[in-house]
Amino acid sequence: MTISPLRRRIRPITIGRPSPIVYVFLAIVMVASVFPLYWSLLIGSGDSSTINDPNMSWWPGGNFFANAASVIGNQSVNFWKSLGNSVIVSSVVSASVVFFSTLAGYSFAKLRFRAKKGLLVFVIATTAVPTQLGVVPLFIAMSTFGWTGTLGAVIVPALVSAFGVFWMTQYIGQALPDELVEAGRIDGASMFQTFWYIGLPSARPAAAMLALFTFITTWTNFFWPFIVLNADNPTLPVSLATLQANYFIDYSIVLAGVLLATLPLIALFVIAGKQLVAGIMQGAVKG
Amino acid sequence: MTTSTLRAAQRTPRRIAFSQKLGRWDIRFSPYLYISPFFLLFSVVGLFPLLYTGWVSLHAWDLIGGQGGFVGGDNFVWVLQQQKFWIALRNTFSIFLLSSVPQIVVAIVIAAVLDTNLRGKTFWRMGVLLPYVVMPVAVSLIFSNMYGDKYGLVNTLLAHLGIPGIPWHSNPLASQFAIASMVNFRWTGYNALILLAGMQAIPRDYYEAATIDGAGALRRFFSITIPQLRPTLIFVIITATIGGLQIFDEPRLFDQYGTGGANSQWLTLTIYLYNLGWGQLNFGRAAAVAWLLFLVIVLIGLINLAITRRIASNEGRDS
Amino acid sequence: MKLSRRTTAVAAIAGAAAFALIATGCSSGGTPAADSNKPITLTLATFNNFGYDDALLAEYHKLHPNITVVQNKAATSDAAQTNLFTKLAAGSGLGDIEAVDGDWMPKVRKYANKFVDLASSDNKDRYSSWKTAGGIADGKQIGLGTDIGPEAICYRSDLFAKAGLPTEPDAVAKLLTGDWNTYYSVGKTFAEAKTGAAWFDSAGATFQGLANQYKNFYEKNDGTVIAATNPDVKAAFESVLKASSTESSHLTQWSDNWTAGMANGAYATMLCPAWMLGVIQGDTPKLTDWKIANVFPNGGGNWGGSYLLVPTQGKHTAEAKALADWITAPAQQIKAFKVAGTFPSQVAAYTDPTLTGAKNTFFNDAEIGKIYIDRANAVKVTPFKGATYGSIMTAVQNGLTRVETGTQSVDDSWNQVVTDIKALG
Repeated sequence: MTISPLRRRIRPITIGRPSPIVYVFLAIVMVASVFPLYWSLLIGSGDSSTINDPNMSWWPGGNFFANAASVIGNQSVNFWKSLGNSVIVSSVVSASVVFFSTLAGYSFAKLRFRAKKGLLVFVIATTAVPTQLGVVPLFIAMSTFGWTGTLGAVIVPALVSAFGVFWMTQYIGQALPDELVEAGRIDGASMFQTFWYIGLPSARPAAAMLALFTFITTWTNFFWPFIVLNADNPTLPVSLATLQANYFIDYSIVLAGVLLATLPLIALFVIAGKQLVAGIMQGAVKG
Repeated sequence: MTTSTLRAAQRTPRRIAFSQKLGRWDIRFSPYLYISPFFLLFSVVGLFPLLYTGWVSLHAWDLIGGQGGFVGGDNFVWVLQQQKFWIALRNTFSIFLLSSVPQIVVAIVIAAVLDTNLRGKTFWRMGVLLPYVVMPVAVSLIFSNMYGDKYGLVNTLLAHLGIPGIPWHSNPLASQFAIASMVNFRWTGYNALILLAGMQAIPRDYYEAATIDGAGALRRFFSITIPQLRPTLIFVIITATIGGLQIFDEPRLFDQYGTGGANSQWLTLTIYLYNLGWGQLNFGRAAAVAWLLFLVIVLIGLINLAITRRIASNEGRDS
Repeated sequence: MKLSRRTTAVAAIAGAAAFALIATGCSSGGTPAADSNKPITLTLATFNNFGYDDALLAEYHKLHPNITVVQNKAATSDAAQTNLFTKLAAGSGLGDIEAVDGDWMPKVRKYANKFVDLASSDNKDRYSSWKTAGGIADGKQIGLGTDIGPEAICYRSDLFAKAGLPTEPDAVAKLLTGDWNTYYSVGKTFAEAKTGAAWFDSAGATFQGLANQYKNFYEKNDGTVIAATNPDVKAAFESVLKASSTESSHLTQWSDNWTAGMANGAYATMLCPAWMLGVIQGDTPKLTDWKIANVFPNGGGNWGGSYLLVPTQGKHTAEAKALADWITAPAQQIKAFKVAGTFPSQVAAYTDPTLTGAKNTFFNDAEIGKIYIDRANAVKVTPFKGATYGSIMTAVQNGLTRVETGTQSVDDSWNQVVTDIKALG
């Protein structure tokens, strides 16, 4: 498994421009990607009867803001609070994962110590361990500490990530020449100074990507927050789930809420989509 | 980036007079210090809960009453005797297959198309990745609505084509297909990009040689691209397995009840675990299910690993 | 070594973070001496719509200027249930007052030691005896009744007209007077008229009406489960499904399709506990043809209704007890009824003119006060509901749904129900 740190210019298989069929195919894929969101806009901008209207229009109606307002105004949804909570949880978790992963990754990639290989194998093995399955004892522990219902219960279990450590180890191993580390040491810098002034800057692009992915993963996470948080202090996915659980289901409201909750990440995608694409392609395993 | 790094290296850091001894300790212990936060935290929040699950599963354990007596393997025996457990196991695999096989096939096709000399590369790549940022809960709410049995969009469209509506919520296979489609929606584009990166790493002279030998595009695709992609494919499959077997969000929100259907049509193991633990307040049995699911995932992981090993040794590339 | 020391600190903090919590135990406060002038906030945790609006809470604040009442609403009864048990397990985080649905109240009784005894001379004779009994556990009155769910029949007068049936509530009540077979046979007449609508919404909802008319349907009084062997259960299961095959719209209750079906006129009648009025109005705001017939198959029945409990883990249990007592008093419960249709369980309310004269415009000026007082008086049986009642009901409801959606035959489905009930052991 290798991760290539450099953007190589690679000649595609075909030299000429591809045929129009290719573009048609891609356009279909594109429509499939966007359609569900468009559908929520259609329904979310109508009223309660839109969904059952056999002659519904394929253009959005004018009710989106009214529907969004009733989602925001709904006491049991707690929209602003859940949005704030999601921002807090995702940011803290991302910062923590990036910092600890970079620190450990630097150590694994550039420092010499005993049992290094064994420990690294352990890290790689744990990337395949479904820690989600520890929910029962985790819940017992949180209850014991009186942490249920608090954001800490969601943040603490996610503070580190084996995948993050592996990712940073790979990247720093390739992006940071050993000579630079040596040079720093010869200059008399302490271990931590070397890490801070030489290791960290070299890992910046990978750290940014790791932060991005961790943020998205944490933002979309549902299972554990749903178990441990309560309706009065939820994250966004948890509060979104309560929309559907209401006795009278007005889908124009539900889907307006869905769209509202999706917007922050769509915005992030517009800003950082390019980096996301690059990140996925760099993290890919090469044959 | 490189220049700034060099400059940082050339900057002579402030000399601090510390003894030789401290310096030696610094060199010896720093590496351990840097990896320790990960190992400590992971032990506490990752490893320990998994092991402790085993301990809980050997006891009668009420959500509120807490730990009861030691019951040995009773919880496991009970779970294994439940028809629902086996149905959930079957459904979990069924949804997993329905959501990974077509997904990977389509992802390969999309990747192959993206690997041509396109105009607006970044635009198309971002386009296929868009669903990845929609949270599963949102995907599930949108799709559940489109798959309404009587008044849903999909059945309405089918009716226009003269096809009778499909009972998305009562037919087991239909409900699993619907849930799988949510997973596919979110992950196909993501995996297509991973496969695209794999494709771009294939040395181009292979293709040139094949072209000279007179192989057509399809022939080149099946005898060069696919075999060369194997390690990437395995990676994609492993990650899909770990996530797919724990599927919870989509089936949980597929209807109002969240219990997996009246006939357990789309009951998955994680939902079953949740129902036992937080619905019936029986943590002992929930922990037994968690352990069994863990074993299933590890087993499949090991099988995957064995296959990967064999392929990797053929490839002879290592980090 | 400034920098190095900083890393050490970071590592130490991170490592310790997880352990440090062990030191912070949770403080479950007892009851401090009630200081009547200290400003405090009481949280009242309810679900759906109990009808406790802001005006009512403000009224209490006026009576007790030092107390502010905040209501936390869960979206559904299920969400409230999970929340209650989860926080009971956690030992903290519950509201000062928690609302509990009558159907899962039995599950809560097991943990009577975690709730305050609310019995007082004020509320001693407030309820009919069965409502009081439902809130008693280990000899303590842990729950005070809020509402009950006496059942009438709601129907779509326009569809009745289409089928050539009478449309006025009195005439419909007369037509439906009798047992379940009467209800089904009128349904048969309705079905033969081919209006395109079904007679009732679902086997599951209709079955609730039957189940609540037996004293020991699923469990004996000592809690022994008899659901799988009780001939009444099997007979009710089969009779509802027999009627359902020709008279039901087969839309599972509470599903999207059921909701949409209600708006689209997929069924003409529904069993109508008082709280259902709010559901119908919420789901079909544009319809004008709903009416209520003062009648119920086999006499009377009660479906649903709730209790208020005060958890001992709260910090102000004395004040919470006083609030629970006040808000479940007849005068307040009548106000809640006018807001949300939650019918009072307090006997004194039934002679109060505000209630006896209550009408509902959405249901074509139905005299809901009078109708539901009659319906409450017609309830003759108090079903025994034990700790497994809710889970058994889920298993049976799933069985009914399986047949209605065509996934299983009646016999296969029943066998599956029996298996599922045994698995609850």
